[in-house]
Amino acid sequence: MEKVMSLPKEVYQALLKVVGPENIADRPHILAALRHTNPQSGRQPPSPAAVIMPGSVEEVREIVRICNRHGVRYNAVVSMFGMGGVVSQPGMLVISLRRMNRIIEINEFDRYAVIEPAVRQVQLKAEVFKRGLTYPTASAGPSCSVLANFLTSGDHHTQQSSSRCSRYLLGYEWVTPTGEIVRVGSLAHGAGWFCPDGPGPSLRGLVRGYGGWGGGLGIVTRIAIGLDDWKGPRVLTTQGHSPDYKIPFPPDCHRVFIFKFPTLEKVRDAMTEMGKAEIGQAVLKFFYATEAVLFTVSANDFRDLWNSGLYQRELPRALWVYLAAWTPEELAYEERVMRDIVEEFGGEPVDASITRKYEENMDFFILVSFLQRVLKLGGGWSPTKLGADSIHHMFEVAAAIPEFFYDFIEKGRILDAPHNFQVIPMEYGHAAHIELLFFFDNQRPDWQQIPAEVMQKSMESDIRHGFHAATPPRVKAVMERLGPLYSNFQVWTNKIKETFDPNNVSNPGPG
Amino acid sequence: MDKLTDYRYTMKSCNSCGQCRFILGPMMKGWEYAEICPIHLRYRWDACSGQGLINIAQELLDGELDYEDGLIEHIYTCTTCGACDINCKSVRDMEVMDTILALRARCVEDGRGPLPPHQEQARYIEAHHNIFGEPHEERSDWLQEGIKLSEKADVAYFAGCATAYKHPDIARNTVRILNAGGLDFQVLHDEYCCGAPLWRTGQVEAARKLAEHNTEVFRENGIRTVVTACAECYGTFRGFYPRIAPPDFEVVHISEVVQRMLRADRLKLKGKLDIKVTYHDPCLLGRLSEPYVPWHGEIKSFGYHEPPKTWRRGTHGVYESPREVLKAIPGLELVEMTRHAENAFCCGGGGGVPAAFPDFALWTAAERLDEAKSTGANAVVSACPWCESAFQNAIDADKSTLQYHDFTGLVVRALEL
Repeated sequence: MEKVMSLPKEVYQALLKVVGPENIADRPHILAALRHTNPQSGRQPPSPAAVIMPGSVEEVREIVRICNRHGVRYNAVVSMFGMGGVVSQPGMLVISLRRMNRIIEINEFDRYAVIEPAVRQVQLKAEVFKRGLTYPTASAGPSCSVLANFLTSGDHHTQQSSSRCSRYLLGYEWVTPTGEIVRVGSLAHGAGWFCPDGPGPSLRGLVRGYGGWGGGLGIVTRIAIGLDDWKGPRVLTTQGHSPDYKIPFPPDCHRVFIFKFPTLEKVRDAMTEMGKAEIGQAVLKFFYATEAVLFTVSANDFRDLWNSGLYQRELPRALWVYLAAWTPEELAYEERVMRDIVEEFGGEPVDASITRKYEENMDFFILVSFLQRVLKLGGGWSPTKLGADSIHHMFEVAAAIPEFFYDFIEKGRILDAPHNFQVIPMEYGHAAHIELLFFFDNQRPDWQQIPAEVMQKSMESDIRHGFHAATPPRVKAVMERLGPLYSNFQVWTNKIKETFDPNNVSNPGPG
Repeated sequence: MDKLTDYRYTMKSCNSCGQCRFILGPMMKGWEYAEICPIHLRYRWDACSGQGLINIAQELLDGELDYEDGLIEHIYTCTTCGACDINCKSVRDMEVMDTILALRARCVEDGRGPLPPHQEQARYIEAHHNIFGEPHEERSDWLQEGIKLSEKADVAYFAGCATAYKHPDIARNTVRILNAGGLDFQVLHDEYCCGAPLWRTGQVEAARKLAEHNTEVFRENGIRTVVTACAECYGTFRGFYPRIAPPDFEVVHISEVVQRMLRADRLKLKGKLDIKVTYHDPCLLGRLSEPYVPWHGEIKSFGYHEPPKTWRRGTHGVYESPREVLKAIPGLELVEMTRHAENAFCCGGGGGVPAAFPDFALWTAAERLDEAKSTGANAVVSACPWCESAFQNAIDADKSTLQYHDFTGLVVRALEL
């Protein structure tokens, strides 16, 4: 590891005055947890110079102003899950928002919740369920930050009946990269949190980030999110002990079905028709290997299940449907419509043992409580693609995956799971999201190169075909290559960055 | 004995997912009481968590981190409650707790640890065989006349240091229950400290000697079953002794004994107790009480363990026995805290924390009592003398109206003994 760069003494002292000695540290052992090589990326990140924990928006503003005054680059973090490294350059300041963890308001009448950055998915979910409400919950696991996922795309399993998290972002409070507090949407006019946009252009895109280095601009300290009605139980009844939990839902109004189809085109068409019919709390083509990882406890159990070949036989061309209704009659109607569509496209139920896993773990659809199980094959796991477009386009992207994916499989560098992608429609088929997950073995000597190489090949495939399949990170070299596919968006994001962050101190990326 | 290097895979595999800091998703019931790691809840640094401690272990092992000022104190702030471990292992194949314990052992091996109060405890144990430095010959002074002992029984009651010297009522209640249920047992006058305070602070060689002594005493006296009312002793017999040698005795907690006696109609809980209680699961009786099974093998591609490993994921902790017994007491209403069973929040009484960081121990107990109060209970019940000390200190400091009861005390009252 490189020698840790320290902050200049006067800068450290100025920061200490803002938060007090309990909330700032630069000792190497405290920083050790912020420079660990994450097996997801394989990269050894640089060490930050210090970490600071503000407790209010005013403290955040003061910290950001000090950083601008002294040219100190910073990155704000909450959970750190999924990050390739906390900072992108040596000598940066980590602004940890852990202390800002309050639910400010849950407004049942106007249906929004106002939260601080460190409120976790499961905390808010449990609180809104008690009130018969819910919100789109990014499939990032129970302990990730709600706020962070609403600032990114935040895709999730139930977006058939809702949308991406980012579409539910309402008013928000933002400390700009230079340290100005801006309140956006109806909040700017003292009209409360209910609306994201005031008169004039929407500002939501300005703060939209991407996980890790080069993410959003400045620091968002409070957001309001929209809430929907919740058809499920107000308190989840959990059975069993770790790791064998079960969360069943009342079956008269909540049912899960999984159908296999002869071709991916049939999956696509069935998915499209279900959108037209506006049925399904969740409809998705899910990852089959990821499912096997999620529903087994140990790496050994996974290997046994995977080697049995059951999932490879049943799930490469399957459609998952979760029906939720207010009444048994409503459920029966949706089921009839669903079965008509499935029959039309030649679908048939998969092995009942697979469906049973979901019936016993309904939290999969609303929370993915055990999401971190995807890490259990040694932590070597990574997603790519992560883009969105029409359902048809997403399946075109899927059809091209073998072009670059098989090479990695044949060389034994990634798990042999060529169909491990998901397509999730949003807003009843108005658009869809695609994600390709791959597992790599961190016992291999070349493991640290694998994730970047797969992502590179995936991006090259998208460019070659002209696909809208990637969510471009704010990394200049990548943006320049992908930009032409997306109306040269990078020209504008670069201008926005230069305007709002003239000192390039806010999450600057690797440089 | 495991070395820090044995946990390379765990160190390398951590994705910083945060599961070691929060109770499991399916068990979370709201905004409050969502966190599980005492040091992270108090200090908030990533370094103050299971993840942070294994990151530190890795850097120490790789020579990237020195024994700088504050590092040893940092490592010893952890209560070793194992909440990080069980939460991690609900989703991963990693050994967080054992890595932390091996890190402490490494500090001791390097001559950097433990902290002075732990060294003092080790000296007391060396000289007097108990953690408090009390005379060894007074270890069984709690024993009163009228208790029926059977010198030839293959069952022994093991009191442990905290019960024998600080909470003798627990010992007296335990043996009265055993007598009432008609169980023949011995009290071994040459029992030594079980070794928990040394094991949990990295002083494993000294702990090994205690384990060897106690095992030999059991053997000499023909003991096949050891009954204890101390969670620390229970967890140490099951979690530490098998690391020394395969145990040739069974360990049973008094709550399990009472449960069996009730089911066999050997005891009758007749006395009515009009009380609303919540039960606190001691860490070493609950999530950390599964027997340790040695594993020697190879971790192959994609984390496959060859041969298959027996994981201790907290599934089979002693959760139901005390609850079943408490519910059987007439008039007693049992309510659960959000964080219970394998997700119980620590009382702050373990890992050498009360000796080295009494303020933090008190803070941790107060956090737990706050949760106990939120249930509407007027008393918290547990089954460990260390938990009793921790909670009683916090109750006294807060002048709380909440009461503390040891499990055995309530059972004796319900038995009308």
